[in-house]
Amino acid sequence: MKKAWEKPELEVLEVMT
Amino acid sequence: MIKESVIQADSQLTKVEGNIVSSMDGEMVMLSINSGKYYNFGEIGGEIWRLADEFPTVKEIIDELRNIYEVDEETCTAQVMEFLEHLNKEGLIEVN
Repeated sequence: MKKAWEKPELEVLEVMT
Repeated sequence: MIKESVIQADSQLTKVEGNIVSSMDGEMVMLSINSGKYYNFGEIGGEIWRLADEFPTVKEIIDELRNIYEVDEETCTAQVMEFLEHLNKEGLIEVN
């Protein structure tokens, strides 16, 4: 049985000092 | 510099080095040493990242995703292309 599809999204967060 | 949309079905992807990859609650996360940015790929984004090691072209990645997930080809292609464009814009992949 195949898995449910969800739109792939790239979440970007700024982070290093 | 603005990168044009260059990703096509027969494009080959190369991962850019200098990133620390880990998994958190089933989702892939990445820290870019170069940019100091933290990325959450989510579950399917992480799957795409893993498949890029095994399948050299975008079309092969999409075909494999459709073997795993319930999604039609048009939707899968459009959404994966958009995701890969974002990766390319962030400098996480190179497109050949």
